[in-house]
Amino acid sequence: MQSSYATKLIDLIESKAENIAKQWAADVMKHNRTPSYHSLPKDLVIEQGINFYRLFRQMSLADVPYEEAKNFSWKYAEEFYQQKIPLHEALYALILMRRHLWLYAEFQGIFMTALEKQQAVESLNRTILMFDYVSYQVTEKYQELTAEAVNSKLGIVKTFLIGKLIGGTKSIYKTGLMLILLIAACALTYYYHSTGTACLFTHLFYIPIILAAIWWGKKGIVVSIFLAALILVSHALFLNEVPFSDDIVRAIMFIVIGGVIGWLMESLKKLEGLYEPFT
Amino acid sequence: MKAFTSKLVDLTQKNAEKIALQWAKDVKTNLKTYSYHNEPKDKITGQAFEFYNNFQEIFFHESPYERAEEIFKKYANERYKEEIPLHEAMYALILMRRHIWLYAEFRSLFDTEVEHRQAVASLSRTILMFDYIMYIIAKEYWNLMKLEMSTH
Repeated sequence: MQSSYATKLIDLIESKAENIAKQWAADVMKHNRTPSYHSLPKDLVIEQGINFYRLFRQMSLADVPYEEAKNFSWKYAEEFYQQKIPLHEALYALILMRRHLWLYAEFQGIFMTALEKQQAVESLNRTILMFDYVSYQVTEKYQELTAEAVNSKLGIVKTFLIGKLIGGTKSIYKTGLMLILLIAACALTYYYHSTGTACLFTHLFYIPIILAAIWWGKKGIVVSIFLAALILVSHALFLNEVPFSDDIVRAIMFIVIGGVIGWLMESLKKLEGLYEPFT
Repeated sequence: MKAFTSKLVDLTQKNAEKIALQWAKDVKTNLKTYSYHNEPKDKITGQAFEFYNNFQEIFFHESPYERAEEIFKKYANERYKEEIPLHEAMYALILMRRHIWLYAEFRSLFDTEVEHRQAVASLSRTILMFDYIMYIIAKEYWNLMKLEMSTH
């Protein structure tokens, strides 16, 4: 009994998919909870509606309706993500799709008798189940797309991260590499200051400063302070006759650059954390 | 008609704790609500209990959408702070709605032919309220994410 009733409803939906989709499109393109749809091409919106209504039969024939729903949901999420439609509006448009399906069925008078009303509960539950699958899949996919976009924009920075942003499982390698770079910085400073050779070797100090800021965020400023102190102390020991002013400027720049990059990386870390649950 | 819808909401309200417990058991094992699996049972049961109590209020409110907005913005904020992904928070809501219906069916609330007729109206009203709630929660998550991104 339920099966024949469901078939009746499915037949109605499929044969009238375009009509229902047009009614839905007219609604969604002026509804105050879906403002992003107001400027979309009408044909595109109607096509989305038709695809949704045809899904009803596809799902009823599928062995695993949940998997069948993905064909529609993922495409729907991708299209509306590309058009920058907010997720809550895309979801509300789905809600309206379901309502229009039901309104059309009621308008056609297929729930007239008491028996049909009884069967209508089953049918309504089936419609809701389909909608539940689709709304869950659309939400999940939309967030995946957002997270992917953030990840790709962070791509270049992530190359430098050697694992997770700021800290992480490979932090022992980072510490090891930083120690080597700092020892090299001490050796270079000693060599050039003790021999009095004029060379712009301090530019190389930006490598450990930037890496420390990327890996450890604001805490990475310790490296900048260490290198600033290194050139000032070394200057005091070996370059008494040379004015301090140039090295003071260099020391300040180390701390400023390290601090700014560290602060930016901390913000990036928070941004990454925001999307982490979806990846 | 109103008496019947009242019957469904009254049943939910009176048995909020039992329905909340059944929901908590479900959400803690459901594959689509992974983030709830390690949450303390008492905590999530409390969430559902509060939800079912609030649900009655918006169900009969003369401006249900506005009232739902006041109540469920807070709900969305709490789930967001708990780092529950939106799709899982939404699915947990879907399960809350299903458990209302399951409990009503279990208690044979829709046995007679007349009651079946009225059940369509009751179910439609319940779905409408959940549609509002889901939209409000998705919108609030969106606003919170935008706010957080603009502050970093």
